Amino acid sequence: MEFDFALIVESVPKMATGIGITLQLLVLATIIGTALAVCTVLMRISKIPLLSWPAMVYIYIFRGTPMLVQIFLIYYGLSQFQAVRDSFFWIALRDPFWCAIIAFSVNVGAYTAEILRGGIQGVDEGQLRAATALGLSKSQRFIHITTPIAIRLALPAFGNETVSLLKSTALASTITMFDITGVARTIMAQTFAPYEIFISAAIVYLFIAWFIQIGVALAERRFSRHMQR
Amino acid sequence: MYVVVGWLDEFLWGALVVLQIFMVGMTMAVIWGLLGAAAKLSKIPVFSVLASVYTTVFRAVPELLVLLIFYFGSAITLTAIAKLINPDIQFVDIPPFWAGSFAISLIIGAYAAETFRGAFQGVDPGQIKAARSLGMSATHTFFYVRLPQMWRLALPGFGNHMLSMMKDTALISVIGVEEILYTAEIATSITMQPFTMYMVVAIIYLVFTTVIMAIIQVLEKTANRHLESV
Amino acid sequence: MIETKSTPIIQLQKVDKFFGEFQALKNVNLEVHKGQKVVVCGPSGSGKSTMIHCINRLEKHDNGRIVVAGIELNDSLKNIDAVRSEIGMVFQQFNLFPHLKVIDNLMLAPRLVRKVKKAEARKIAMTYLERVHIPEQAEKYPIQLSGGQQQRVAIARALCMNPEIMLFDEPTSALDPEMISEVLDVMVELAKEGMTMICVTHEMGFARSVADLMVFMDEGEIVESAVPDDFFANPKSERTKLFLSQILSH
Ligand SMILES: Nc1ncnc2c1ncn2[C@@H]1O[C@H](COP(=O)(O)OP(=O)(O)OP(=O)(O)O)[C@@H](O)[C@H]1O
Ligand SMILES: [Mg+2]
Repeated sequence: MEFDFALIVESVPKMATGIGITLQLLVLATIIGTALAVCTVLMRISKIPLLSWPAMVYIYIFRGTPMLVQIFLIYYGLSQFQAVRDSFFWIALRDPFWCAIIAFSVNVGAYTAEILRGGIQGVDEGQLRAATALGLSKSQRFIHITTPIAIRLALPAFGNETVSLLKSTALASTITMFDITGVARTIMAQTFAPYEIFISAAIVYLFIAWFIQIGVALAERRFSRHMQR
Repeated sequence: MYVVVGWLDEFLWGALVVLQIFMVGMTMAVIWGLLGAAAKLSKIPVFSVLASVYTTVFRAVPELLVLLIFYFGSAITLTAIAKLINPDIQFVDIPPFWAGSFAISLIIGAYAAETFRGAFQGVDPGQIKAARSLGMSATHTFFYVRLPQMWRLALPGFGNHMLSMMKDTALISVIGVEEILYTAEIATSITMQPFTMYMVVAIIYLVFTTVIMAIIQVLEKTANRHLESV
Repeated sequence: MIETKSTPIIQLQKVDKFFGEFQALKNVNLEVHKGQKVVVCGPSGSGKSTMIHCINRLEKHDNGRIVVAGIELNDSLKNIDAVRSEIGMVFQQFNLFPHLKVIDNLMLAPRLVRKVKKAEARKIAMTYLERVHIPEQAEKYPIQLSGGQQQRVAIARALCMNPEIMLFDEPTSALDPEMISEVLDVMVELAKEGMTMICVTHEMGFARSVADLMVFMDEGEIVESAVPDDFFANPKSERTKLFLSQILSH
């Protein structure tokens, strides 16, 4: 057994198609998931139990179960019901891509909601009191004081969450998607050279994760301009 | 729903396997975490650089991929070695249970290393100065002053790592360990009721994670007892 | 000033200390005799903390000599341990161990370092808690005490090791005004009992009543040292005058 560098050089370009799928999953799920998270956190911090309770249950369920199980439930599970198969949604639900998007988005929604809540709770009481004293209304305080500060506080965790999502997209390969991991597994089945193939894939993921980190660092810089001298 | 009843003991066995992977994996993860944190804090550059590479790589590469690398990688390495001894051997692998637990423990260990390092540095330097000024040795200072305070700082992160470890056990079905997700796949192929079966799996996991969350809460309460002013 | 012919218990000779490029102590010379009380003052960043941290090796000095109770501070761990066992220290931020009850804060070092039996350590601890007038707080956690009480626990904790010398680094600057006197009272009592003390403090009333020697530091140097009467009545250096006028004017 020897380590075949030529095989690495050969297989990285083959993964290019996979990179496209991975990035699509990543970007779409981030957008949909973040939108979901904003709604969820607004419900979660509300003082009306009818709003905060469902949000809590949603977060609890999705944070408490493995994503792989959720994906199988959506992709394989839902087809058990005739009603689902007859419904309009079947177009999406029989497509592994959309099933993956749904699973990833609801997870991002649950996790990011908690991150945002942490940011909101981290906002200093004193600044809110100062805003009240200046006569800002409750919603003005939320929009102009709480939100920008909370976003800044939540950014590092949000970056970690996005890397986390990147890693989770590999699970799409278990429902027949050809993302980076999916392509790697196919090549691996042909060549049976696990080290070369999977390490090539790992390197691709490392690069994407690195770009995400840079992006978040830039965003952090932008949101903390007021702290730079 | 009653179809589940027929599969109950399979699921129970699967759940036991999940618990075993969790225990074994968590124990190893703590070891990697402590070693990683010590290496990161070390003044010897080789150690700190190696530790950084470890934590960076294992926190950025998908869990599934790490699992596949370790399982298939160890298999072809072992097979190659075995062929040297006996050319007739076709395939040898590390039992998937161990390859899987090991791979996941390395991932969680990378996160734990960061948590432990943060907790180490999070202890107020004044505490260390006070201990040293009382004449306590470096070892005594570590065990009686730093460690008890690190524990409190590390708990929230460590709790999350336990939850991640629990959920990551689901991945091990991919390399054929007969845990609950694997059981559900088999059950589905016979009963044709995937939703029911995967729902059972989800509920079992939810029970496990709920128990873990409850334990974490109790631990955090104990750890923070001394910080509650009456 | 109590003049003793014996060798000083603390001796700093030409001590320099660097933090990277920055020189925090410049040619510091100081002699403290047994039973003497020295009050150190000076503007923020002048090196007061650095100096007293060097005396028990919480910081390592770079040049010069520091000798405590006849033991030279060098790289010998044995010497460092020996010096630390002679010296008790009290910090601005108290630095009580938050995870231990008051009584356990006091018992920890005697038990670990001096190998005192548990019952004996408790007895010692209670004696000193009584000395600082808070025996009733023994079973509480530090956070449940007021700042003044915490600082008195910290003093008792240092005393439990039976030190020859006590170092105080701004022991009252983190306290609310109404709590300052309860801590100073304990320090005055300690001074009266003949403890050798170096106190970094800007409490000039305290300085006048207990100090044998006043030391003024600025920019890492000892600018002036004199008995309190001279120090306050006719300071020699312009820097001292300026500092005193600022600190005494309010
Ligand atoms: N660990 C350190 N690393 C770098 N510089 C330091 C360190 N500790 C102290 N210094 C610097 O050394 C100088 C002296 O500090 P020191 O703490 O001794 O001052 P101080 O007189 O005690 O002041 P204060 O009244 O604010 O406590 C300061 O300029 C400080 O910035
Ligand atoms: Mg100071």
